[in-house]
Amino acid sequence: MIDLVLLGDVLAGTARLGTPIAFAALGGVIAERGGLYNIGLEGQILAGALGAAAGSFATGSAVIGLGCGIICGLISGLLLGYMSVRLRINQLVGGIALNLLLAGLTAFLSRQIFGAQAGGARVKGFSQIDIPFLSDLPVVGPSLFSQDPLFYLLIGLAIAAWFWLMKSHKGLDLRAVGENPKAADLAGVPVFRMQYLAIAVSGALAALAGVHLVLSQVYVFAEGMSAGKGFIALAAIILGRWSPIGAICAALFFGFCDAVQFKLQFTSPEIPYQLFLILPYLASLIALVVLGAKASAPASVGLPYDREHR
Amino acid sequence: MQLMSKLLAGLAALMLAGPAAADGIERAAIVMPGSISDNGWNQAGFEGLTKAGEALGFEAAFSESVHQPEQIEVLSDYARRGYDLVIGHGGEFQDAVERVAARFPETMFMVNNGLGTKDNIANADFYFSQIAYLMGYVAGSMSDTGTIGIIAAQQFKFTTDTVAGYEAGAKAANPDVRVLVTWTGDWDDIAKGKEAALNQISQGADVVWPTMDSATLGSMQAVQEKGVYGIGIYRDAINEWPEILQSAILDVRGNMRSYLELAAAGKLEGALYRADMGNELAMRIGSFHPDIPVGVVDEVNKLIDAMKSGTLVVNPQ
Repeated sequence: MIDLVLLGDVLAGTARLGTPIAFAALGGVIAERGGLYNIGLEGQILAGALGAAAGSFATGSAVIGLGCGIICGLISGLLLGYMSVRLRINQLVGGIALNLLLAGLTAFLSRQIFGAQAGGARVKGFSQIDIPFLSDLPVVGPSLFSQDPLFYLLIGLAIAAWFWLMKSHKGLDLRAVGENPKAADLAGVPVFRMQYLAIAVSGALAALAGVHLVLSQVYVFAEGMSAGKGFIALAAIILGRWSPIGAICAALFFGFCDAVQFKLQFTSPEIPYQLFLILPYLASLIALVVLGAKASAPASVGLPYDREHR
Repeated sequence: MQLMSKLLAGLAALMLAGPAAADGIERAAIVMPGSISDNGWNQAGFEGLTKAGEALGFEAAFSESVHQPEQIEVLSDYARRGYDLVIGHGGEFQDAVERVAARFPETMFMVNNGLGTKDNIANADFYFSQIAYLMGYVAGSMSDTGTIGIIAAQQFKFTTDTVAGYEAGAKAANPDVRVLVTWTGDWDDIAKGKEAALNQISQGADVVWPTMDSATLGSMQAVQEKGVYGIGIYRDAINEWPEILQSAILDVRGNMRSYLELAAAGKLEGALYRADMGNELAMRIGSFHPDIPVGVVDEVNKLIDAMKSGTLVVNPQ
């Protein structure tokens, strides 16, 4: 029975720790399928977190906070799109520049908005929703079916993204842009419009990771609260083979490893804690080596498309 | 910014024509790894020096955001221009200070949280395990389940001393107490901070002490949601979180003020200046939670007196 309680705890922890990574990874998949690297996920998480905190702080409504967070993500996505699509600058450099910009800007703005309260300005967030019947199930009930609304939104978005990308005509267009923009252009696909759409949606999804941190987890904004989740998400994209469902499974796997290592620290205190901390990274490294033989990255990801160029 | 501060310092030096204190310091400079508006370590260092300079009558200069490759250049520059006291703000300055101090034997150097002293290198830090002992005593006394927790980011002297002191203090209050220790590996990851606290609470901990930076916010969120008690660090945290039983206040400004007063009187030596409970300016406890019975408050005050008088020695020192 103890083991079942432990299992339930680990599952709940997986959902909490994995959800922000999953949102960011989903955003990264959409961008990379459209041929654009989104290295700016880390900064966009911060933008979404600040937007959510500011919106909820100003209005007292978590839903408006959610909206503000998404808008911040869209804007930061479009900014990256402008750099990558219009200016055709190196997408890795553009993403890193965006990360630096947003890390500084969110820190500055948070001091302007929340003032001296900074770490202590509590905002209104979402409370957990118990799904009828399912939440009464043993073990999985309390851990997976009484989560916050954003967790359910993640599941919904993952399925919607998979369906749109893999089964719809527009999704096929986007994938074509990511594989061979010239061919897509010749076939009449509006390449630049698709790329702007993909990078904006990507920014909004990454921002949802920040929204989740603020409105579902801690209810405050803190400088640098993304704490590398945007970079772990980049690994989840590769581990998930550029598939929306795969990336989310990979993100939840990272969350699972993190949740397990907290448990293992109690049950095996004699083992150095550093070993448990590297567990998620070790697992992803092994998974990448095992699965890595079959590369399936979009063929034109990271290469700026120039219509004039032959 | 660095250049700016150098220019300002130079300008101030030109304007300061009159003779200053004979045996104490006339000019002191601090070199910091980060921004002076970080609301934390660097801001404390900057304010610690400038405010002491105004009060004690010496001229203060600063360089901010100085990274590893520039440390030697910036430190030597101050020494070359005749600053009496040059402070490296953080243990990462130790190596650079040692190299520069060998070339400028007339200049006094200080490393905050430093790792070794010489004739002209002083160090200043805190007696971490002493205040952690008091926190452990409060936590051990207030726990109903007999299980308490402490969460830290990475293992080094500050955290290992703090954990050891906390365990010793808790055992002094309740010999059967179980102390859970969680290492998160990250100072700022709020989600991990929360997860670590939730895990400790689900293991039965009803007092949790998070000792990270931003990640502490996540842990305190879990403490609040689950209705258990927390312990604060650096400032009197009960003002922000009503669940805080007691806080370990480590005041960098106060610690700097203590040694700068010595420096102004010309008494600063190449020694370790460790703030303990006897130095209230630098290290003290915060407000007691109203739930804490008078008996426990009296016991804690007795412990503090015993620490001051030297009858209670907490290890590691």
